[in-house]
Amino acid sequence: MELLILPFVFGILSFIIPSSWSRTFGLIGAASSLMVALFHLSGFEPQTVRTIFDPNRTFPLGLSFKMGFDALGLVMILLTNGIVLLVLLSNWNREIAKNKLFTALVFLMQFGLLGVFTAQDGILFYIFWEFTLLPIFLILYWFGAKDNNPTLFKFFIYTLVGSLAMLAAFITLGSFSSSYSYEDLRQVSLPAGYACWIMSGFLLAFAIKIPLFPFHTWQPATYSSAPMAGTMLLSALMLKMALFGMIKWMLPLTAEGLECMRWPVIILGSIGIVYGALIAIKQNDIKKIFAYASISHLGLIAAGIMLYTTSAMQGAMIQIINHSLISVGLFLAADILENRTGTRKINELGGIAKLAPHYGFWFAVIVFAGLSVPFTAGFIGEFILIKEMFSFHMIIGIVAATTLVLGAVYMLRAYQVSMFGAPKLTEFQDLKWNETFVFVALTILILVIGLSSNCIIDFLEPSLSNYQVTLK
Amino acid sequence: MTIDSIVLILIALPLIGALVNGTIGKKLPNIVVGTIATSVMLASFICAVLVFSQFHKTQLIHLFSLLKLDGFQLNARFQVDALSIWMTMIVTGIGTLIHLFSMGYMSHDKGYYKFFTYLNLFIFAMLLLVLGSNYFVLFFGWEGVGICSYLLIGFHYSDLEKGISNSIAARKAFIMNRIGDAGLLFALFLILSQFGTLEYLDLARMTGPGHGVAQAMLIGITLCLFLAATGKSAQIPLFTWLPDAMAGPTPVSALIHAATMVTAGIYLVVRSNFLFELAPFTKDIILYIGLATSLVAAFIALRQNDIKKVLAYSTVSQLGLMFVALGMGAYTVAIFHVTTHAFFKALLFLGSGSVIHAMSDEQDIRKMGGLAKKLPITHATFLIGTLAISGFPLLSGFYSKDEILGHALAANPLLYGILMISVAMTSIYMFRMYFLVFFGSFRGGEKAASHLHESPLIMTLPLMILAILSVFGGILNLPGLFLHSGAHWLNDFLSGQTAGLNLLHAEHLAASTTLILMFVASAMTLLILIWAYINYAKKQKLALADEELHGWQLWSNKKLYIDELYALVFVKPIEFIGNVFYSNFDIKVLAQGVYSFAQLFSKLGGVTRKWQNGVLSSYLFWMLIGLISLISYYFIKLQVWNF
Repeated sequence: MELLILPFVFGILSFIIPSSWSRTFGLIGAASSLMVALFHLSGFEPQTVRTIFDPNRTFPLGLSFKMGFDALGLVMILLTNGIVLLVLLSNWNREIAKNKLFTALVFLMQFGLLGVFTAQDGILFYIFWEFTLLPIFLILYWFGAKDNNPTLFKFFIYTLVGSLAMLAAFITLGSFSSSYSYEDLRQVSLPAGYACWIMSGFLLAFAIKIPLFPFHTWQPATYSSAPMAGTMLLSALMLKMALFGMIKWMLPLTAEGLECMRWPVIILGSIGIVYGALIAIKQNDIKKIFAYASISHLGLIAAGIMLYTTSAMQGAMIQIINHSLISVGLFLAADILENRTGTRKINELGGIAKLAPHYGFWFAVIVFAGLSVPFTAGFIGEFILIKEMFSFHMIIGIVAATTLVLGAVYMLRAYQVSMFGAPKLTEFQDLKWNETFVFVALTILILVIGLSSNCIIDFLEPSLSNYQVTLK
Repeated sequence: MTIDSIVLILIALPLIGALVNGTIGKKLPNIVVGTIATSVMLASFICAVLVFSQFHKTQLIHLFSLLKLDGFQLNARFQVDALSIWMTMIVTGIGTLIHLFSMGYMSHDKGYYKFFTYLNLFIFAMLLLVLGSNYFVLFFGWEGVGICSYLLIGFHYSDLEKGISNSIAARKAFIMNRIGDAGLLFALFLILSQFGTLEYLDLARMTGPGHGVAQAMLIGITLCLFLAATGKSAQIPLFTWLPDAMAGPTPVSALIHAATMVTAGIYLVVRSNFLFELAPFTKDIILYIGLATSLVAAFIALRQNDIKKVLAYSTVSQLGLMFVALGMGAYTVAIFHVTTHAFFKALLFLGSGSVIHAMSDEQDIRKMGGLAKKLPITHATFLIGTLAISGFPLLSGFYSKDEILGHALAANPLLYGILMISVAMTSIYMFRMYFLVFFGSFRGGEKAASHLHESPLIMTLPLMILAILSVFGGILNLPGLFLHSGAHWLNDFLSGQTAGLNLLHAEHLAASTTLILMFVASAMTLLILIWAYINYAKKQKLALADEELHGWQLWSNKKLYIDELYALVFVKPIEFIGNVFYSNFDIKVLAQGVYSFAQLFSKLGGVTRKWQNGVLSSYLFWMLIGLISLISYYFIKLQVWNF
């Protein structure tokens, strides 16, 4: 339980402490949360579920308030706590980090995310899911671009509508069960005709959050008007809630509906892969390039999850982790450009690699990691996902593999137009210590995961196969 | 030491060199950086020779499991057999010489340590590629060399004039290679789905007699593999990146874009020979593509004026020849030509580097001339390279080309005829370039003339070694004319211990045919030599200014407008679609659609708001309507039930 209490307490305390402490306080809080999560990891048996909160009775309306995590949950917890630490570190030298409100909101966001990843009760999952929307909204509202109200409004309403569909799905599902606890919901065998609808309810919520083509229109504008921390939290963690929800909640609970929803999602995901990439190729705003790239990457993951094989899930999980790390790196790199030059338009930049060689180098490393070159985590993730899609249907596999080529086009273009050529600026401040630290940490993680993917696969194996439902 | 540990050491050495130079190289003096990089290469080469000398049978070196999923396992594992050890010797041997040359060539460059880091890294990736025991490790190396190639082509990215075009060339190379990589990935998936393994030895066993694999599957696999090969080895349709890749420093062109990386496609096909042998259809495709590439590239090379571009197109053309050999199933012959080509093309590129160095970075052969006196060693070695590639009698290229031509004649006289055209064009553009550069009078102006100098020993030494190899390289695989033993050595060596090749029956031509072929080829080369001497050395027929070109010369000079064609057919439409998707579809249709959907509720609210008008009669009216509807509904329902 201390997993959740810690960020919550830190979040509340952050409101009270003097502003000058907030940076240090943030780091200490994030680091201690990560330590706790690592402590949980040591000695964790992958085939078990560790319950962290269980009132042991059913409350009115069938609520159980159970919380706990299996191997999959633990991986997401570690990811969350690690990314939060990196997000705070990335912001260390920015004005925003000196604001205690910001620190508080990040902790509350972390609290919400951890709740989502540990909820063992459908309604609790929904509550935490909705809770995360509040801190991120405030982060975007208070610290984002000045004129972003319409964008935020759209983002808020859009995701809210999706969540309501999910709530409806949970309630319908719960009407067949004695309680909303995960175990009870797993026991439900849905009558014919229901599964498909319930799954679509989940899917609407997840498709908007991921976002899946064509539900993505809130994303590019939100990303580009958000402060760096907001974009990172959205892209590295919040979107992953939806993918996590698909793996842990939607598919095992409504597996009977897979037949009717599998093809639509796989096709939308595949369209997203190509669509996002094609648009990214022609964008000039570097944050928009990465936003559309994200649609492309996540289309692949979402489609892979819908294949519903253990292998595809393994690939998806590695790719989820990888995408989180890459997003932090890419949006940090993009923000450094904006922070130092005041513009995100790549055609106004150029030759920065010469002015700031360290930045040029680490940005390139992240770009290549984003291209999923061998030795990186993305390589393994993409390899498994495309392989599974290829064996599901050859055409889908070929469409998925276009990401290899198109990804190279937009990534290298974004990098090269801004970084290569003759310098257009006279000076560009190279990386600060905290930025270097983040890049180095990301790189190490990406390489380690890329070379030891077997460990992750073995670790996740029991929980992922537990999510497989044998249909009658 | 066992072969196992030596192989691991020889792979690790370049990586160590790259890590050392990459981390602390910036603080070290150039000479130390260069020495570290070159000595790890030399040590690696010595290891390779050691392995070669101790080698007697194929063996595997298992490291660890890279990835295991349900049903299959992908291993980090190396395989020492005749083919891999031969490629390793070429890569490390030529690599050492080019590292040595680079120590001189790059001495004025600010990115000295970076250059050697990338170069060592490239060798490491290349060694993974040739030494892996399965397609997965090969894929690691395959993509790895692509990245290093990208980094090195765009090495001078911040150059004031050429920075942008350099980096665009690098990007083009990477993207075109990625198309090939996708092909390789598909091949991997197909192989996995069919055989459940990616290990060469297992696959060779599974495709033995009575294998029972569907022909369509085999064709699919081999076509995907060949697509990969066209990307890496610059064949039609993916060949246009290689000439642009000349934007990289010249040693890079010599190492990556002539001697080693671009032959990875050939290696891939030879490595997969047991699959290709089962798919004659794909072999025919390879033959035609190789032939077409060879002709097209040779034609374009006829009127190029950039010394490196001529060599680049020449490389494409020679690679085409190698694919022709592969298409005929003459795998060992292709490797023989890979070997000799590595010698003389590396020599020519380094020679051109020495010329460019002397000319203060001028690459246009129209501004050169008469360099023979100023650069005696470069001239002599360049001459040897030119003769070797033109198939001058008794030089290395003569033997390897002759093997290909002989196989072609045995297969189909028409094929032989077409190949001879390509070979003739090779001699023409090579001698044209050679005479324009080294004969006649200097055309580069007085300022450039005063700078002319022979390169230092560190650069000329590799030239001399490569020249010796280019002269005597043919000994590796002499035709069985007058020899009782020692003939076809490379052929026998490779066939002896390479999966698949050991099952193929090697065909050798009759001595009389070989003699006639050699005579025809030699006579043609000599005639062209004389013709070129008269035209370019004596008459100094200068390459015309671009505007004066017309007819075939214009087409050759403009590279058959293939870049323009690709821009029109692929690049422009993709950019167009990207724009339309964004500004028309994404913003106008999707975003607007969502907005309208939201508006709908607002409108609906507007409608219902009107109903709440506070007028009692209106409420009553609607209540009445509702009641009537309800009653009629149940009434109708009852009626329907009753019927």
